[in-house]
Amino acid sequence: MSTMPISRDTLWEVTSRTIVYAAIGAALYAVLGLFNFLLPGTQNVYVRPAYALVPFFGYAFGPIVGFFTGFVGNIAIDQITGYGAFTAWNWSLANGLAGLLAGVLPAMMGARMASSNKMVSAAIVAVVATIIGFAFVVTDIWVFGTAPETVLTASYIPVVIANVLSAVILTPILVAVWGPLQEQLGR
Amino acid sequence: MNVAPRYLGRGSWLARRDPRVLILVAVLAAIAVPQVFDLRIALVLLVIAQLYYRAARIPFATVRAQWAFVFIFLTIIVLVNTVITGGEVGTLVLGDLHILFHLPLLNTPISAEAVAYGATQMVRYLTFASVGFPIAFAVAPADLGPAFARLRVPYKFAFGIDLTFRFIPSLADDLQTTIDAQRVRGYDPDRKGRGPIGRLRRLTPVVVPLTINAIVNAEDTIDAMDLRAFGTGKRTWLRELIYDQSDKLILAGTVGILLIITALNLAGYTRLWTPGFLIDLAGG
Repeated sequence: MSTMPISRDTLWEVTSRTIVYAAIGAALYAVLGLFNFLLPGTQNVYVRPAYALVPFFGYAFGPIVGFFTGFVGNIAIDQITGYGAFTAWNWSLANGLAGLLAGVLPAMMGARMASSNKMVSAAIVAVVATIIGFAFVVTDIWVFGTAPETVLTASYIPVVIANVLSAVILTPILVAVWGPLQEQLGR
Repeated sequence: MNVAPRYLGRGSWLARRDPRVLILVAVLAAIAVPQVFDLRIALVLLVIAQLYYRAARIPFATVRAQWAFVFIFLTIIVLVNTVITGGEVGTLVLGDLHILFHLPLLNTPISAEAVAYGATQMVRYLTFASVGFPIAFAVAPADLGPAFARLRVPYKFAFGIDLTFRFIPSLADDLQTTIDAQRVRGYDPDRKGRGPIGRLRRLTPVVVPLTINAIVNAEDTIDAMDLRAFGTGKRTWLRELIYDQSDKLILAGTVGILLIITALNLAGYTRLWTPGFLIDLAGG
């Protein structure tokens, strides 16, 4: 079975491979992140399918790649769409934290992860990383001056619902396809 | 699908500035502006930010959609915040407020203080947008890597940022090629129905091959970098960045504004201010 996730020894290593995978993750997130659709029954919850790439890159290539994919990827989306790299800096950081956690959680879970169904474990990691990572949007309390209840109902819950939906559907599929290929290619 | 950078070239005064200036101004504004709840001070910051924004000479038609989104988004946030807090503002409770009217159906009281607070929230975020938008239009994508490197971001990560923006156009082409190839196999990206889960699953034939191919093809880039001893020593950048007098003035001014705002905040002068005419309207 696949050798994913990576071991604790190489978790924080930054090599040329790390940087290239991180850049590819961020660029893919930027390109695919331009597609989104409104969640039926809501008025402001937009599902961004490309978000699934953030936990995937974290899970497959480690926390540094995951963080870079989410953080720089979101910055790149804002640059391309004309909003500027740092107008929503805290949301870029939230994306980055979700990717970072998706890389750290498998290493923490170690042996339990190695023996479990990879698709199920990827989905669980993606959901947990999203729920915890996007808690950083609580900084909207400081940025916008809004009440905590507003941040919870108008920002945090909608984005977690949308991103969990993307991550649960697409991240396990990416993991399932990449795992055997990774073994075959010897990466 | 348009992934072309929004960069407008070096025609404007702001675009001719060192790209580090635009990044640092946005960062310093992100620290200064949230400290302000006094509408008068927020308006002064907005005027300064708008002068800065105008120096980028961004055609309005290019950013009309972005400004419209900001206004609509802010209006929703302010309204939702007012309703959710039941009309209370910060530490002020209903007994401290000067009620103007009650919202129909919800009966939420709208006070002079809530209007002032809502206006301050909008002015604050418009200030963020005014210093944030120019980064997209006045900084060349190829300058972002050197700018972050000169801002002491570790070389490998600064190079990663540069590489990200280099990959975007080729991945956009690959995306179109993948969609076309899958269409030939009967894939219909525009087919509706079966809810959000169905829509996500229908993206699998595009997302998965695009991602996996990008990762597999990365090996050439990795080899090229290793053969050039990437990460083994200090490197220089083709683009040299040097602050000129104008850059130093902008940075000094921005740091000065941050220090003033911080001092005012610590002295308690940036708290919520409610205009007298609003209090009079509420029967003061």
